[in-house]
Amino acid sequence: MVVSHSRALARAAVTLAAEMAAGARIEIAAGLDDTTLGTDATAIVDALVAADDGDGVVVLMDLGSAVLSAELALELVDEDLRSRVVLCPAPLVEGLVAAAVTAAGGAGRDEVAREASDGLLGKVAQLGTAPAEDAGGEAMATVTVGNPHGLHARPAARLVTEARRLNAGLEVRNRTTGSAWVPATSLSRVATLGALRGHEIDVRASGPGARAAVDEIVAVAARRFDETPPELDKIGEWGGPVPVDLDLIGGNTTGTGVRRGQGASAGIGIGPAWRRSSTPPEVPDEPSQGTDVEWRRVEDAVAAVRLEIDKIWEGNPEASIFDAHLLLLDDAELLGEVRQRIEGGQAAPQAFRGAAGRIAAEFDTLDDPYLRGRGDDVHAVADQVLRAMLGISGTAASGDGVLVAPDLTPAEAATLDPVRVTGVLLAFGSPTSHGAILARTRGIPMVVGAGPAVLSGPPGAVVVLDGSTGEFAISPPEPVAAAFRDRAAERSARAGRAAARAGEPAVTADGVTVHVAANLGSVADARAAAANGADLAGLVRTEFLFLDRDAAPSVDEQVAVYRQIAEALGGRRITLRTLDVGGDKPLRYAPAPHEQNPFLGVRGIRHSLAHPAVFADQLLAIARVARETPVSIMFPMVSTVGEVVTARRMLDDAIGRAGRSDGLRVGIMIEVPAAALRSAAFTPYVDFVSVGTNDLTQYTLAAERGNAALSADGLDPAVLRLIRLVCEQSGVPVAVCGELAADEAAVPLLTALGVRELSVAPPAVPLVKESVRGTRLEQAGPLAERACGLADANAVRALLKPGNVHSGR
Amino acid sequence: MADTVDTEALHAWIREFARLIAEHKDLLTELDSAIGDADHGINLHRGMSAVVEVLEKESPGRPAELLKRTGMTLVSTVGGASGPLYGTAFLRMSAIAGDAETLDGADIAKILRAALDGVVARGKAQAGDKTMYDALAPAVESIEESIADGQPLGEALDNAVRAAEQGRAATVAMVARKGRASYLGERSAGHQDPGATSVTLLVAAAARALA
Repeated sequence: MVVSHSRALARAAVTLAAEMAAGARIEIAAGLDDTTLGTDATAIVDALVAADDGDGVVVLMDLGSAVLSAELALELVDEDLRSRVVLCPAPLVEGLVAAAVTAAGGAGRDEVAREASDGLLGKVAQLGTAPAEDAGGEAMATVTVGNPHGLHARPAARLVTEARRLNAGLEVRNRTTGSAWVPATSLSRVATLGALRGHEIDVRASGPGARAAVDEIVAVAARRFDETPPELDKIGEWGGPVPVDLDLIGGNTTGTGVRRGQGASAGIGIGPAWRRSSTPPEVPDEPSQGTDVEWRRVEDAVAAVRLEIDKIWEGNPEASIFDAHLLLLDDAELLGEVRQRIEGGQAAPQAFRGAAGRIAAEFDTLDDPYLRGRGDDVHAVADQVLRAMLGISGTAASGDGVLVAPDLTPAEAATLDPVRVTGVLLAFGSPTSHGAILARTRGIPMVVGAGPAVLSGPPGAVVVLDGSTGEFAISPPEPVAAAFRDRAAERSARAGRAAARAGEPAVTADGVTVHVAANLGSVADARAAAANGADLAGLVRTEFLFLDRDAAPSVDEQVAVYRQIAEALGGRRITLRTLDVGGDKPLRYAPAPHEQNPFLGVRGIRHSLAHPAVFADQLLAIARVARETPVSIMFPMVSTVGEVVTARRMLDDAIGRAGRSDGLRVGIMIEVPAAALRSAAFTPYVDFVSVGTNDLTQYTLAAERGNAALSADGLDPAVLRLIRLVCEQSGVPVAVCGELAADEAAVPLLTALGVRELSVAPPAVPLVKESVRGTRLEQAGPLAERACGLADANAVRALLKPGNVHSGR
Repeated sequence: MADTVDTEALHAWIREFARLIAEHKDLLTELDSAIGDADHGINLHRGMSAVVEVLEKESPGRPAELLKRTGMTLVSTVGGASGPLYGTAFLRMSAIAGDAETLDGADIAKILRAALDGVVARGKAQAGDKTMYDALAPAVESIEESIADGQPLGEALDNAVRAAEQGRAATVAMVARKGRASYLGERSAGHQDPGATSVTLLVAAAARALA
């Protein structure tokens, strides 16, 4: 007999078993009905009664409630039948096949159950694995702390992370000081051990896996909790002197103080360094709105801060100082006290400040100065959480000059004042992060990956940076500063030339017109695009209308905003991309199930098709606007033709309601390699395609763009080949709307591959147009072919050095 | 109100629980979507709606009958693990209620203890596993103490609600060791357990309807 959540699954399993053993009698109790998943104890009772012919019943179950419901059903049948029923722990499919074969041979129920339980052996033997054996019981060991500063933030965080991962009830105590046992999973508790170098720490665990868990901790301790010894700290690697290629000071690089990070937003930034305000936010005196509301505020704020820290942390091993912050965010001691205070009637901000203050004070009483300093971690996290809770932006006080920071969130990048902020220098970060994209959009020069040392520079010191080359210097000698000023002057002269003819079409030296369009995320962007001479809007990110609100925007509201964008662009064509969100940016009014990996989940057009009401409204709004002004619509994250067919059908419905318009063009974004590879299959359904090189690069190279340890460069030959394939096979005009389009080095190459529209951040339009004008296809064509055959993006960049492609600059 | 509870009062309890589940359906589902399969709110709502309908059709005579019908309806309509868990809880309560026409404070403590035992027998959960046990157990202990101290049922239930709420809050920091959430391991920490949340509503419903 089969108990399963799914009737379809149960029937299929029975069919499979029946093929092997036609004579076996198998009853099913599965699903609440044909389609609703679930298990029903009363249905199991019925099936048991039906299955029993006096010889008893062997029950195979899938998981979770199937087991619970089967056990409950056993309680509900009479004792006589109960004594003849065996609940068998075998895996459903393997067990059922083995059981059916055995039962058909006339064996009794116990033998059937035994054979079913052995049903997995064949697969185990085939795959050469053996089930893990775990003795259980207690395990204990003693380790000696070898870290120079004892078990301070980073090593302690490493211990806690491991302990949580091992999930074996690990506890530790400081044997040397005779401390009490504390859970190894709580950072604040582990820190209170006051474990210094040379102290002995007892580690214990219980339950299955205890021995392995303790051994694991012993191993981690032997590696000094994976702390890099200070003498090996790779300061030099982060910000060492630039060895070559520094023509700006006559080739002499020693003693100039010029170092190199990664260029993230082109331009020269010069100005006094400023840091974000670190004063604790003011907590207003407010009454509690009830336990649930206040606790929710805490949870939301903690989640927001965790996201912020995750962003910095990802791919930056040197950012492990933030591990401690991250662990504090779900520290049971801290949150438990916050919860108690909230239940005692405090509002969330007061409760959090109070609990964090109490725990920080505990650190302050410790003997070791290094550990005492860890109280700062608690304060830092608490301030960050409080800011999130109170909606205070970390950059409320925007400074003048060059912002120096660990990393820049998109929200922060969006609030920087481009007039006052002359540049951004980040210790960590990635040139492909959203923060970097925003910096480029706003025309703020930025260098990332400059190394943590820049964070300790004196406030007010003059910083010079070049966002194209990644070079920077703090308090540079005068000749260096002068060289950066010269570069800025040269750049601005070039920008001046470009701006002077920004409104003219971009035509290559051999007469091919390339439309240079703008990527927009707001009406203000549309004005900037018009001012910079964009030929059209090649990508309007409509998300800004949908995020951070409790209900979807109405059709009328959308129509009004799309109309404003078209008006701001003086009636030039606007390409509206339908909503592009996923599990990483959930909408409150279109809840999505939790996903292990939102970037490979229900996002883009998949999300829209899963929320047809929201999608239909957007399509209707677009169809309406298309009757007033030239509009293109494009669907993001397409991977199959079926998605486009469904979306077009819904669009047809919308057009039916709004009325037809001749100017509406339909396109898709090519961001998924699968779509690029079969671009010819989309031809019947589209008027154009637009390659989103950011996501296409990420998905092609399996490299997250924000991860500084990886290269997610759109000039990778694999990405270029996909673009070439799309140009050759799609049979419709091809645009590129990713960051690559704004890369002046890439412009000739993309044009040579066949791209006829480049959509870029508004401030980049004039220079991209200049780059098109400097392109000669008879030179760029062979170069593009060579690029496609090279080994990696670096080789392509070397090939594209200025002078190789352009007829002249 | 009097310190005894009749079938009508128990019926009001069930209705109130159904109402609270309906009201918090989205919250429960949201909590479950963080660490489970996002069906807790939907499943319990389906089950409790069916219970309310069954009880409306034919009002039961004795408490035991009402509790039993509630349990049986839940086991066949909820679908997920909360079906057999809540079902067992109500069936065990029914068994303890026996032939009684009314239940006093001590009886209520007894049937809730039986419900807890049923949940443990069915789910094999222990304290700290991040399950409904972590809210229900403190509530049962609280009501037993209150009744033993001679407090009236209303006060005892109010105390029990607070105990359940504290237990529910404590599940946030726990790492799940039972059910679908246990597949997430340490990632389940930081989320409130949906089962602990719904069972707190059960206790809250009792406090409102039985006293």
